[in-house]
Amino acid sequence: MKRLSLAVLLLGAVQLLFSQTTTVSGRITDAENGEMLIGATVEAVGKQQGKVSNEYGFYSFSLPATGDSITLRFSYLGYEPALRRIKAVPGAITLNVALRPQGSVLEEVVVTANSLEDKVKSTEMSVMTLSAREAKAVPALFGEVDILKILQLKPGITAGTEGTTGFFVRGGGVDQNLIVLDEAIVYNPNHLFGFFSTFNSDAVKDVKIYKGGFPAQYGGRLSSVIDVRMREGNNKEYDVTGGIGLISSRLTVEGPIQRDKSSFILSGRRTYADLITRGINRANASDPNYNPIPDYYFYDLNTKVNFTLSERDRLFLSGYFGRDVFKFNNQTFDFLFDWGNATGTARWNHVYGPKLFSNATFTFSDYRYRIQNALQGFSFSLGSNVIDANGKLDFYYQPDNRHAIRFGAQATYHEFRVARLKFGSDDGRINFESGQNFNGMEYALYFADDWSVTERLKLNYGARISAWQNSPAFYANFEPRIAANYTLRDGWSVKGSYARMNQYVHLLASSGLSLPTDIWYPSTEGVRPQVSDQIAAGVQYLYRGKWLITWEAWYKWLNNQVDFIDGAELFGNNNLEGELAIGKGFAYSPLELEIEKRDGRLTGWIGYTLAWVRRGEFEDINGGAYFPPRFDTRHNLTVVALYELTRRWQLTASWVYTSGIMAWLPLGRFTFQDVSGAPFQPVVPVYGDRNTFRYPAYMRLDLGIVYRWKTRRSEQDLTLSIYNVTDRRNPFFIFLEPELQTLGDAGQSIQVPTAIRAKQVSLFPILPSLTWNFKF
Amino acid sequence: MKYLPHILLLSALALLGACNLEKEIDLELPLYDSQPVVECYLEPGKPFRLLLTRSYGFFDPLGLDSTFLDKTLISGAVVTIAYNGRVDTLANTLSAEFMPLKIFNYTGQNLVPATPGVEYTLRITMPDGKEITGQTIMLPKVPIDSIRVEWNPQRDTLARVLTYITDDRTQENFYRRMINYATLDSLPDQDFLATDRIAQTEVIAFGTGYELRQGDTVINTLFHITKDYYDYLESVQLAVFGNQNPFAQPARIKSNVRGSANPLGIFTCLVYDRDTTIIRK
Repeated sequence: MKRLSLAVLLLGAVQLLFSQTTTVSGRITDAENGEMLIGATVEAVGKQQGKVSNEYGFYSFSLPATGDSITLRFSYLGYEPALRRIKAVPGAITLNVALRPQGSVLEEVVVTANSLEDKVKSTEMSVMTLSAREAKAVPALFGEVDILKILQLKPGITAGTEGTTGFFVRGGGVDQNLIVLDEAIVYNPNHLFGFFSTFNSDAVKDVKIYKGGFPAQYGGRLSSVIDVRMREGNNKEYDVTGGIGLISSRLTVEGPIQRDKSSFILSGRRTYADLITRGINRANASDPNYNPIPDYYFYDLNTKVNFTLSERDRLFLSGYFGRDVFKFNNQTFDFLFDWGNATGTARWNHVYGPKLFSNATFTFSDYRYRIQNALQGFSFSLGSNVIDANGKLDFYYQPDNRHAIRFGAQATYHEFRVARLKFGSDDGRINFESGQNFNGMEYALYFADDWSVTERLKLNYGARISAWQNSPAFYANFEPRIAANYTLRDGWSVKGSYARMNQYVHLLASSGLSLPTDIWYPSTEGVRPQVSDQIAAGVQYLYRGKWLITWEAWYKWLNNQVDFIDGAELFGNNNLEGELAIGKGFAYSPLELEIEKRDGRLTGWIGYTLAWVRRGEFEDINGGAYFPPRFDTRHNLTVVALYELTRRWQLTASWVYTSGIMAWLPLGRFTFQDVSGAPFQPVVPVYGDRNTFRYPAYMRLDLGIVYRWKTRRSEQDLTLSIYNVTDRRNPFFIFLEPELQTLGDAGQSIQVPTAIRAKQVSLFPILPSLTWNFKF
Repeated sequence: MKYLPHILLLSALALLGACNLEKEIDLELPLYDSQPVVECYLEPGKPFRLLLTRSYGFFDPLGLDSTFLDKTLISGAVVTIAYNGRVDTLANTLSAEFMPLKIFNYTGQNLVPATPGVEYTLRITMPDGKEITGQTIMLPKVPIDSIRVEWNPQRDTLARVLTYITDDRTQENFYRRMINYATLDSLPDQDFLATDRIAQTEVIAFGTGYELRQGDTVINTLFHITKDYYDYLESVQLAVFGNQNPFAQPARIKSNVRGSANPLGIFTCLVYDRDTTIIRK
């Protein structure tokens, strides 16, 4: 009875508490196209209280129910702020607000950026947001705007091979980046062996990258989360947007299905070099000595529809499909190599009330490659694929202004078809087959609370419990997450975070470059989940309200790292685990600095990272000793500047300086005469410890000029990009080339090296390109 | 197969129109201690022979002066090969085989028996007292069952050659397949390693492309090799490829000789079947 009384008393107290509060909630959108704005701020004018909208544009804000008139200010960088007056009476108020973009000529892309002040106050650290507008302005290789390449210009992120989209975050491997498009995993975000990413900038709304301090809702990769959100489409009017570039062309169509309630967007991109090469092949078809040029092209298609079902319900359906195709055929061969991703997402947002919001998501991901060849009487095929089906339920609960609670659960079914090879004669007399199939279930539960402990101290604490089942292997792990922010006076704040992450799928990559044939492999009894622990500490300072200076230091421990033993056999192998080595790693940086300016005519950032990365304790690699991986670049300095000269002209520049990557060069050589019939090899390299040599430093300056104009029915621009303006010969590859001399006569001769030269190969000289973009 | 993605990637780079800009640079490599290098192939019916050389630092002095052989060949070692309860000592004598030229600086008196299953043990005592040891076994020959010449149905002046063997599926076998056109002194048109690890049938075929013409001579050689020799050859290929290809992962040499002298090299039996075919309609 006593307990019942206490419960009633508590319930009454809660009701009393609620009854003395005004809770304002709703969605913040773009007034011109209805797109939801992520991270927009709502604050009570004259009070030190504010909240930001979540990734669905939903916000919830509580005030004391004093009965007074309160002015709420809604703001978002790049948009005109909006003021709304409300009467603070007890209860709930729904207030949807549409913000109008500030007057830039080209506004086809929604600018998504947290205000700098919010950043200083937020518990989030090691997080960056990139707007598509920034991405489009930064000069690009061949004029092909690529969001992943822009991320490489941020501190803490090291680019892979020049010109490619591969990147390494805070000492992590290329497979340790969780790349999601509308919450569906993209396993291989590359076209053309990594020279272009799968993300069409016309279809992208928002990209957010977490390098550390991971929120509890994210898991599954050790080093970063790249959360790419597609645009929803204009629900006010029809638009056609596109661009014609050197390598590919893009076209996007969007518009309302039902004005203000539902919209669609359909965006496609395709390269066209193959159309030219096919013409050349046709023109030379009669020449028996002509070797046809192989066909190569890639394309991708993004689509999304969204429906406002009611004031409380919204439904989103989105999908991506992309393929690279490489093929040739002649009298002997009929060769096809294609690869690509397909993803699908269905999301249902539901607002239960002013304090509780939920998102139910189903995603599907499929990455596959296929190599086929037919040779008159014989055929060959090789392929791998990974398929995910994921169900997820996320809740966002804001009991008051001091707590923002997230909790949820997810389950993912994984299916792996690993290096399936088949070769044989058509009559079945000869047959080779190999490959493995796996499936696994990945589960997660999470909880996190973003708690304003005091006006100055904020704490984000939570945990994720993840599990993996690939019978008979079963792993369950506890992943604590905590981040704190203490706001000092005059724009200063101090931050710290700790996060543990587990990774249950592993990319078996045979080179430093991401290749389509790299294999995703599940955790098994022999290959345990990868684990990382990262601590970070930092200081932020907002100078004159415009310049945000962020300094962070971090240390990361890596366990159960997967690498190949020397000479590993990736294909034609039914036991890939025999080719793997398991080890550890660590990485640290005392200085990761970013100075960013996102307002005014001059915007951009300066980033610098000083870091060390090591891998080791692999039983079969380097004798177990620690070694620097290829991407252990000591210094990374980038400067990106975008300057609005006039309303029509914009000048852009990016400059990159990076210490050279580490290389495994031979130390010695010997002569191998081999057996009769085999070639005498005068120089066989002898390799010692891994990666003992550092390439020369990499430096590159890119410039761009954008000219924009507007007619009554269209907005257009011409973008001139000049890649590597100084025509600097940056090292792409170094090799040692012997000069040989033959001693003796035919049949009684040997070759001996008379000189050995070190040669450096560069990939890209100065490369200008012009792109025309339009919107009708 | 291992190199296919790399080859495609290099082709793609060419397609991309990327400029392959090359320049010579100065490079300083870490110090390297010279290692002895052993090459010893026990070929049935031929004398026990061994080549013992030394490796160099990559940029060590090179040249063709009169001391070249003296600098490269290691003399004064004591080399023995034990088998079937007997021990043959190889004399430090320079010998050679021609067409193509093969040099040996240690040669025995006896001929290598052709008996499969015989185990051989190599022991080398270097002039400084350090040791090198190695073991190998004589495998049975895997004969070439048949050679078939097929003419291209679309262009009947070009032919291909298919070489068939029967594989023993009760054990894992390793092969080295080599094709030379015209003479053994020519660069092989094909020289690759294969295993039957994933074979589902007893019959295995090796083929050429449609590139042969009437009257061409094709020398088919099929070596039945040990796993040690397979690993060694593969590591040599990867080491060479790793220095030439920006996307390839280099590899350390996987030798099957060991000991305090820290040697590189291979000690193996050489068992092969060879067939010479002249292309005729």
